[in-house]
Amino acid sequence: MIKHHPKFELIQSFVNGELPASLSAGIAVHAEMCPKCSQIISQLTEQVAETSFEINMLDNVISEDNRTSLKFNELSETEINTESMIDLITDSNDTFKVEPELVKTITLNNKPYTLPNALKNMPLSKTLHMGKLSRARIQLNENEIHTSLLKIEPGGAVPQHTHKGFELTLLLEGSFNDENGEYVKGDFIMLDGTHTHNPVSTEGCLCFTVANDALHFTKGINKLLNPIGTFIY
Amino acid sequence: MQTNLLSKVTNATPSKMSDKIDHPQLCKWLNAVSISRDKKSFTELFHFFAPKIQRIARNKFPNEAQASEVVQETMSNVWRKAHLFNQDKGAATTWVYTIMRNVTFDMLRKIKGNREDNLSDDIWPIAESMVSDTESFDDHLENKQLLTVIEKLPEVQQQVVKGFYFMEMSQEQLAVHLNLPLGTIKSRLRLALAKLKVQLGEEHD
Repeated sequence: MIKHHPKFELIQSFVNGELPASLSAGIAVHAEMCPKCSQIISQLTEQVAETSFEINMLDNVISEDNRTSLKFNELSETEINTESMIDLITDSNDTFKVEPELVKTITLNNKPYTLPNALKNMPLSKTLHMGKLSRARIQLNENEIHTSLLKIEPGGAVPQHTHKGFELTLLLEGSFNDENGEYVKGDFIMLDGTHTHNPVSTEGCLCFTVANDALHFTKGINKLLNPIGTFIY
Repeated sequence: MQTNLLSKVTNATPSKMSDKIDHPQLCKWLNAVSISRDKKSFTELFHFFAPKIQRIARNKFPNEAQASEVVQETMSNVWRKAHLFNQDKGAATTWVYTIMRNVTFDMLRKIKGNREDNLSDDIWPIAESMVSDTESFDDHLENKQLLTVIEKLPEVQQQVVKGFYFMEMSQEQLAVHLNLPLGTIKSRLRLALAKLKVQLGEEHD
C-alpha cells in the first residue's frame, strides 16, 4: 500500500501550475496510482477554479493596485481587440481531435514497461550503467534540477547519502528499503538535506527521481564516490 | 482614486456585484459551442472568462502582450475543445481553469527553458474525463452511423424502425398509425433489426 504522499503545499503548487515540469510530472504519476491524492487534486482544482473566476466584485476593488483589469474593461482599444480576437478564434473550423493514446515503453528486467502518461513525451538520454544501478536522464532543461529514471537491479543499493537540496524518489515499479522501512510502487518520497538514507532493493526497482543537487555520500569508503554523486540523481 | 473606486462599485450592476458563478449558464454556453459552434454563446463565454484570465496571467507574465496571448490561446482551446467538456465530470470553470493553467505552464516553459515540448496536457489531461468523453463522442458518431445504415433498409422497414426507435412509438401505435396488422409491424421490425445487426457488425470490424 502507498504510504508516502506529496505534502499538501506541494499539491497546491501543482494545481496552481507553479512547480517545474519534473515535480509536476512526479505528482501526476503518483496521483495516477493513488486515488486519495487524485481526489484531493480534483477537489482543489475545482476550488481554485471557482475562486479564480468568481471575483467580479473583487475585480473592481483589486483594480486599485492592478490597473490591468481596469484597462481591459475600460479602454475601447482593448474592446476592439476583444471583438477581433473572438472573430479570429471563431473563424477557425477545426476542432481538436483526440489522438489515440501514445504508448512509450522501456525495457525493464527484459520485459517491456509502459511509462506513465505524464512521462511519455519526455526525451530520455542514453542509459548509463554503474554496477547494479543504471540511469537515464530525462531531458527537461530545468537548470540545476536533474530528473532521471533510475533502475536498481535486484540486490542493488545506493550508498548512504544525503542531499544539499531536495531529492524526490517516486517508485514506479518494484520496491526498496531504507532505514525507515519498505517503499512500494507509487510511494512519493521527498527528502531534503536533513535526511540520510541508504536504499537497498532486493527485488529490483524502477524510480523516477528529481534532485536539485548532487548526492553527498556520507560514509566511509563511499565518500570516495562523491565525485560521481551526480551520476545517480 | 478612492472616489473613483467607490463610484465604480456603486455603478456596478447587480449581476456584477455578485460573486456567485452561474454554472448552469456557463454549461449551456459551452454545450452550444460544442454542438452548434454557436458564436454568440462563445462571445458570452469570452466576456465572462477573458478579463479574468487576463488578470490572472498578468501576475505570471511580465507584460500585457504575453497575458493576452494566454487569453487568446486559452479561449481558442475552449472553442476547439468544447466537445471534450463533460458537465457530469465537473464544472465549466474547472475545465477552463485547466486549459488556462496548461497554456500558462507551456508558455512559461517556453520562455524560461526555451522548450516547446507542451508537456502540460500529459501532466494535467484536459479531461481526466477523457474516457467517458470519448464514449459520449462515440455515441454521437454511432447514432449517425446507425442512421446511414437504416437509410439502406427497404422503405417499409425504415418506417417501422424510425417510428419505434426515434419517435418512441409503441408497436401498437405504429400499427394504428401505418394502418397495418400488429403482426406485420412485429415481423418488419424483427427483419429490420436482423439486417441492422449484420450491417453494424460488418462496419464495426
